[in-house]
Amino acid sequence: MNSLVYLVLVSAKNSLKELLHKPGKLILYLLLAAIIIGLILLTLFTSEISTERLPLFWLQGIYFAFVVLFLVITIQKGLTSGDVIFDMSDVNLLFVSPVNPRAILLYGIIRLAKVSFWAGFFILFQSSSLSNFGVDFGGLLVLFFLFILSMVVQSILSLVIYSVTNGNPKRKLWVKVITVLVFVPMVAFFAVQFLQTQDPMAALAQTITSPFLCAVPIAGWTAASAIALLGGHYLAGALWLGLLVLGGGVMVAYIMLSKVDYYEDVLVATETAFEKKRAAQEGDVNAASASPAKVRVTKTGVGGFGASALFYKHLRETFRQNRFGFFGIYTLITFVCILAASLFMRGFIDVVVILQVLMWMQIFMIGNGRGLKELYVHYIYLIPESPFKKVLWSNLELVFKTLIESVLFLGIPGIILGGNFLVALASMATYTLFSLLLLGINYLSMRWTGANISQGILLFFYFLAVVLLMLPGLVPALVVGFSVGGVVGTLLALAILSGWELLAALLCFALSKDVLHNCDMPSTKPTGK
Amino acid sequence: MIEVRNLTKRYGKLTANQDITLTVYPGELTVLLGPNGAGKSTLIKSICGLLRFEGSITVDGHDNHSAQAKRLLGYIPEMPALYPMLTVREHLEFVARAYKMHDWEPWAQQLMARFELDDKQNKLGKELSKGMQQKVSICCAVLTHPKAVIFDEPLVGLDPHAIRELKNLIAELKKEGCAMVISTHMIESVEENWDTTCIMTKGTIARTCRREELTGGSDLEDLYFSITEGREMAE
Repeated sequence: MNSLVYLVLVSAKNSLKELLHKPGKLILYLLLAAIIIGLILLTLFTSEISTERLPLFWLQGIYFAFVVLFLVITIQKGLTSGDVIFDMSDVNLLFVSPVNPRAILLYGIIRLAKVSFWAGFFILFQSSSLSNFGVDFGGLLVLFFLFILSMVVQSILSLVIYSVTNGNPKRKLWVKVITVLVFVPMVAFFAVQFLQTQDPMAALAQTITSPFLCAVPIAGWTAASAIALLGGHYLAGALWLGLLVLGGGVMVAYIMLSKVDYYEDVLVATETAFEKKRAAQEGDVNAASASPAKVRVTKTGVGGFGASALFYKHLRETFRQNRFGFFGIYTLITFVCILAASLFMRGFIDVVVILQVLMWMQIFMIGNGRGLKELYVHYIYLIPESPFKKVLWSNLELVFKTLIESVLFLGIPGIILGGNFLVALASMATYTLFSLLLLGINYLSMRWTGANISQGILLFFYFLAVVLLMLPGLVPALVVGFSVGGVVGTLLALAILSGWELLAALLCFALSKDVLHNCDMPSTKPTGK
Repeated sequence: MIEVRNLTKRYGKLTANQDITLTVYPGELTVLLGPNGAGKSTLIKSICGLLRFEGSITVDGHDNHSAQAKRLLGYIPEMPALYPMLTVREHLEFVARAYKMHDWEPWAQQLMARFELDDKQNKLGKELSKGMQQKVSICCAVLTHPKAVIFDEPLVGLDPHAIRELKNLIAELKKEGCAMVISTHMIESVEENWDTTCIMTKGTIARTCRREELTGGSDLEDLYFSITEGREMAE
């Protein structure tokens, strides 16, 4: 049997075997599958009863923006280290073996498709939202598979960019210039339309349906193909799809024909990814998390005394990681998106809608706080102070950050949207207190499980706890909100929710008292020593 | 100084440590030896209060989770975990401030000089090699003048100069009455300073041996293989 085919088959077989030996993981997969099937059934049901549908071209715009987001990351990767196509085991065992490098590249691309499959997995959860555009199950699969294909082509593009520009600043500059240039016609078209109509929404709609958007390589082709196929224009869909495949094919041909020795080009990315993965497995989340490649050390020193040193250390780290301190890339992107939504969708959305989206995002983003990351390093456990003080000071930075975010994400948009100022203020309180509750739930999950379970199951407990702890506040808030109605109803609902969040958060912190004494340091699992 | 009584640590069905009892006296170096998977790191992490366990561990009579015990304890982990965005000097400053130390700078300066870190004070944690990170980790652990120090594979990645310095540091700490536990696979590195050896297999201490119990020409290596592989010891 061919060695690469053997590798693929044995890896797949061992993954299945591992699943059988880890019932927790198997249950999680089954649960995930059940949720997806449930959502799909819901789509089938709701698409039949839904009469009003949003125009499909809006979906094209959203899908395009989404692919562009990944494309920008891909190009950035290409300019720094290239994309991760191989594992370190491939480098150590395959690269030195007498197997044809072209076959190895093909094997890498097949593996990439598997990784992209998981990257696009979240699309399957969007069935309910997509039904608003009249997208049925078949349409969902079209969007899903086109996204996977786009991700594969993007990874190949990243490899090509790295291969062409590695160690050549002039070429890197050219790639940046070309990247900007491909978007210029589309942006210029939008500007012209806006000047003519003075209506941003109309200008946006015109731009999305124009050929300038479709012409953007990879992102435009993917979006155009998807929407054409969803709209029943199969020939157009096939043509755009063909262009995407052809683009990927040409790049693969370039790598294979012009530079067979591509090993060096993939080495840096593979080694970096391996180091991050190793660090994450060893529980060193600080090393595993992304940090800027170049950092200028100007001001130095750490303040505080006792447990408060944790807070001052976090401030130093935050301001060193990002010169604007709390205004990191996540804050900036979220702020720009909310600002754009507030400007363009005035009259369609209010601050409560933004609050809902932010609360969903916060469930996932809370783990990025330095306080929770601190639990993965031994220092916080060894500092001779009470666990309560240590937990408090280690999360203070996040509280400040959330307060600033609440002003940016809810206060300013609240003014732009022209709603009631008190509602915006109440939303800010709800958002900030929700973060506090999420922190409490994280500590409580650790306290109850002792963190002596797999990270996947710990995450499952966390999500379950979020749902269970939010329900007693959410239900009365919704009941009161809808019964009273209007601004007063909204204000009452937000007040009830905020009050509950504060109460539940305090309860969580009280129940997770002495958490640092009663849990295993996360990821401190037997290392075989 | 360090008292471990009937320690058992389980990870689900796996028992990593089974009913371990161990005493480390002031001014003594206890060496943990054993093959991979014997439970040495688990024992060390339990002593440092990083894991939950059954049984009891005290440091100078204080429960190992108490602030008093933590103040007396220094820990050098197997994998040096530094903060990527802090400089070498800031790591030491952070530890000094967290432990409420005054006048820590001369001692910190001395430690950095000994481990050849003085010219790298403004290097970030993420810019350091693994060996350099290990040196910072050692400096952080002994900066607080601990009365008990726990080393988990401290020599991995260190250059010859740092290995020599660490050996000297261990000898100095012994003289000052510091109780030490060290887990290592490099048996020859502790040959000079050890007082007690615990040879661990399958989560238990298979044999505890004091230096004076070794007869004639036999050494730690002979003892280790006699327990783990059943070889006869040299006379």
